[in-house]
Amino acid sequence: MAAAAAAAAAANLGEDQFLSEELPSVLWGLDPVFSAFPRLYVRDIQDMPESIQVPGIYFYNSHPVYRVDVLGKVVYKREREDFFCYGVDDGTGVINCLCWKNELLKGGEDPHTRDPKPGFCPRSRPCVMEKLRRAQHNRCRLEIGELLRVRGLVKTSRDKQREILASSYYKVNDPVMSVQIAWMMEVPELYRQCYDKPLNSTSTALNKAKGIILDFCEEKSVNRFRPYDLQNILQPLVSSQLQTTAADQQPVAGPSACQQLCQLLKEALDTLEKEGFIYRKVKSQDQVYNVTTQDKDLLIAVKCIIREDSAKDKYAVKGCHILHILSAVRQRYSLNVSRAALERLLSFLECSSDIISTGENRYTVF
Amino acid sequence: MMLPPAAVFHFPWEIKSNAIREGESIRTFGRLVLYQSEESRATLSAEHASKEHHVVVNTLFVEPFNPILGAQYLVLGETENAEGVGVMVRARVLTCVDGVNIALLQKAINEQRNFFRERECGQAQNAQPGNTT
Repeated sequence: MAAAAAAAAAANLGEDQFLSEELPSVLWGLDPVFSAFPRLYVRDIQDMPESIQVPGIYFYNSHPVYRVDVLGKVVYKREREDFFCYGVDDGTGVINCLCWKNELLKGGEDPHTRDPKPGFCPRSRPCVMEKLRRAQHNRCRLEIGELLRVRGLVKTSRDKQREILASSYYKVNDPVMSVQIAWMMEVPELYRQCYDKPLNSTSTALNKAKGIILDFCEEKSVNRFRPYDLQNILQPLVSSQLQTTAADQQPVAGPSACQQLCQLLKEALDTLEKEGFIYRKVKSQDQVYNVTTQDKDLLIAVKCIIREDSAKDKYAVKGCHILHILSAVRQRYSLNVSRAALERLLSFLECSSDIISTGENRYTVF
Repeated sequence: MMLPPAAVFHFPWEIKSNAIREGESIRTFGRLVLYQSEESRATLSAEHASKEHHVVVNTLFVEPFNPILGAQYLVLGETENAEGVGVMVRARVLTCVDGVNIALLQKAINEQRNFFRERECGQAQNAQPGNTT
């Protein structure tokens, strides 16, 4: 449905100047914020513009959002037969939350009289149901001043008010405000690290940086480097980013180009390390990274281990398990070789037919 | 449906007649030091910069409540100028939060304020060039 709407909207591209600022709906899934329940401030939920392509989707800082996670004090309440309306105040705004009643909460009558077969399981079932009903009652029926946590869809009501259609909601017991304080500390950090970062500049710049570093290492057969050596080759990424922003605005006082570069480099190296492309043989002040598949000594060490141990009776039939190889590499070569790095190395060796896999995660040499 | 305005966190020492508009919705905290039930008036106290600050709270809307002298309370309501008192908070919500880590709460409030200040600065700077060109 989203794709059809996008196609229809794309047909009007000429008239719709706003559409160019909106991410096309086919790309929304790439944004992790889209599939999460972002913890936005109520003020931001109320100010988010709605998508032109698909109603019911909103944009916070170009991140598509359709559901949110909110914690706040109940300052307004109204009960209907099927649902509760709670006005929730998080200190930045007040939003109406529509919370549907569970079957157990509907109708206040005695559950014993509703049970069609009182003879069936005479004591336990009504008792359990009553307990459950009471628990539901305690969690879902809130008074003014109590703390409510709501997750749900953002809607715009008929009178243009934003509201939340709760998919789950419950009363939070917070006698010493620890939950509220933790929330207040956490949310600004989430904004800084995620919601306030535009999708493009974070993920694609990082991917480009990774690609550039890997290509560079492969072309020049680099086997070891220091972060400093790579600063120059990543320079174009940061300056091109600056150019795109500088075209329509004066330079803003933010992190300088140099800081941005360092940050990008650090993130790229962290990801590459996590994914096993690089590792640090020795962890010391001097940051030296080894390129996993270019490290001849490591290649030899791993081949040696597999050759020697495959000869042992224990491994002769099935081959050496990756965890066995990992512990041997750590003992003989370097403690810092990660499993991801070893996996990458083993598949590299397998590609060059230096080793053969005998089963899942098992290797041998002929 | 009428939702009340958002009650923004204020420190007790910020609740002074020259710093706050009448009718503003606020939330604040303090130790209950006095409760005059016949006047529906409670006094919260907090220490800041080695001075004691008092916030007078009108409790008419939240009665009956169980006053625990010496306990920390969180209040949420509207400010008004009362004769002889100065700024008074007409409470909509008054909860006992005794045991709260006040230092951490202050840090969290400041954290949130810093974040909004940062963001507004960023937005102002982003908006300015657009206006001038």
